[in-house]
Amino acid sequence: MTRLGRIRTEAVAAARSFTRRRTAVFFTFFFPVILVVIFGALVRTQPTGGGLFAEPAGYYIPGYLAVVVLFTPLSRVGSEIARHRDGGRFEKLATTPLSRAEWLLAHTLVNVGIIGAASLLILGLVLAVTDATLILSPALAALPLFVAVAVALFCGLGAVLGSLADSQDGVIAASNTVALPLLFLSETFVTPSLLPEWFLPAVAASPLTYFARGTRAITFEGGAWTGDLLVLTALAAGFLAVGAYAVPRTE
Amino acid sequence: MDETATADAGDAPAEGATPGGPDGGDPVVVGEGVRKSYGDVDALDGVDLDVAAGEVFGLIGPNGAGKTTLVRALTGTTEAEGGLRVFGEPPREVDPSRIGLLPQSFDPPARLTARELVDYYGGLYDAARDTEAVLDDVGMADDADAWYETLSGGQRRRTCVATAVVNDPDLLFLDEPTTGIDPAGRRAIHRLIERLAADGTTVFLTSHAMDEVERLADRVAMLRDGRVVASGAPDRLVTEHGGAPRLDAATAAPTTEGVVEAVAAGVRDRLGTDPTVEATDDGLRVWGVRPEAIGDAVDALDDAGVAFDSLSWSEPSLEDVYLRLTGEEYARRGDGGPPDEAAGEGRRAADDATPGGGRAADDATPDGGDR
Repeated sequence: MTRLGRIRTEAVAAARSFTRRRTAVFFTFFFPVILVVIFGALVRTQPTGGGLFAEPAGYYIPGYLAVVVLFTPLSRVGSEIARHRDGGRFEKLATTPLSRAEWLLAHTLVNVGIIGAASLLILGLVLAVTDATLILSPALAALPLFVAVAVALFCGLGAVLGSLADSQDGVIAASNTVALPLLFLSETFVTPSLLPEWFLPAVAASPLTYFARGTRAITFEGGAWTGDLLVLTALAAGFLAVGAYAVPRTE
Repeated sequence: MDETATADAGDAPAEGATPGGPDGGDPVVVGEGVRKSYGDVDALDGVDLDVAAGEVFGLIGPNGAGKTTLVRALTGTTEAEGGLRVFGEPPREVDPSRIGLLPQSFDPPARLTARELVDYYGGLYDAARDTEAVLDDVGMADDADAWYETLSGGQRRRTCVATAVVNDPDLLFLDEPTTGIDPAGRRAIHRLIERLAADGTTVFLTSHAMDEVERLADRVAMLRDGRVVASGAPDRLVTEHGGAPRLDAATAAPTTEGVVEAVAAGVRDRLGTDPTVEATDDGLRVWGVRPEAIGDAVDALDDAGVAFDSLSWSEPSLEDVYLRLTGEEYARRGDGGPPDEAAGEGRRAADDATPGGGRAADDATPDGGDR
């Protein structure tokens, strides 16, 4: 069995397991939909006012996408690791040819598929219920790439959290603790102008910032996005490597 | 496998353990002075063992003895000190296609069917057995399309066994394979192990079911407090450590000291031996009653005025060896002997033993004067 064959086998099993948990599927898609409905359709943007949501609706497209790109892989991969550890599955897999990196790649692929579909749903919903519009250009083709790379990045981080936490509850608490600040302090919903200047280096240090900048350049502002994609890709490679190393092999 | 059963202190190789395969080849599994601690607790305290190619090796011991830790050490899923070799290599460097593992606590993805689970684990190898044949081997062919979470406990365990053999391993580790399985399922697993062994697969089996180990294993090691207290062929262990045959009489009235003495005197007269007679929870027990002497022993009970409701005679079994050497006999019987004393007895069996093991055997048998 080739490496690709093993990854495919693991990914198929993981995808089947996920799609048969109907509650998990429903809330994976429903959670971001709630956010779009609340903030996009009910609160709505106020371009002439101050504070939050003072930008045009299109500015927030990266923020809505970031909700699923960030939260879902963190919690899913982290929980999956906790489930595997509790069920002795890593002990079993350690005696098979499947490596830890292959395991993480397989689960990353599943997450890319799930979150890609959820992102498409969110994008359609944002365009339907808000005043947001897309810049129609060839650069739109890079949008799925941003989503995929960012998902991979946060799958790596989720693997680290899952390995550090000692239970599924711990994974959820840890991923929420990490994800919430990242979501709001990465140029998604809160503009840099609302933050103190001394905090901006922290914004620049957030991987999600490069996802927000790049996708905003593609969908709303126009301009260069390849630099953001490169940074994001480099970070994703690093997080995946650390995550693969963190995936438990033993008890 | 003709060899000498040994009681072993754990610090030295078990004499009599087969040093190589039946063909004299190198052993498949070797552990020398294997140690593993969790904080202040020594899970493994200098374990020595070896397993020959094609052998069914049974590892038994009470809960917490270190059986699962030893399996993990040998499969490379936990770090342990000491010399560990599997197929001549450190466990983590062994070609995984040669190894099959059923962990003790194993809970595969719940919403895959039994067939999908076997397919899944088989799909991780370069070559795997036919899924349908594997399911048939473990008696799951008729329930193969049910999700794992909807299966009974026994069906789940059988499915898990299937995932351990799907790659047709040369060395199969089965950690409590029949836990929670009904008798029919157990038979299916037993037949599978026997067939695998007949085909040359080396099987490393841990179990609490003594009859299972006695039936399946060519050789057995008994683990207690992280140390091997005895090892050898089951029949040899029974002969050397199991004690004497016994006759149990269930009586309605409590057995007094006077009755015990009267029965002992009667048996002495009729059998011409100096028997051990003891009161039990539900009557009394006469040790050392050979099959041909059962009638005389019963007559001795009548002579002593013992009104028994039922009689049972039994030969020593691996369970007796286990209970004696692991120090659990008194705890199980609850007949007045403090568990600590029993544990101490087992510990002496381990500590006093030389690699040759003779003293441990003598110390531990009923006839050895330790009761």
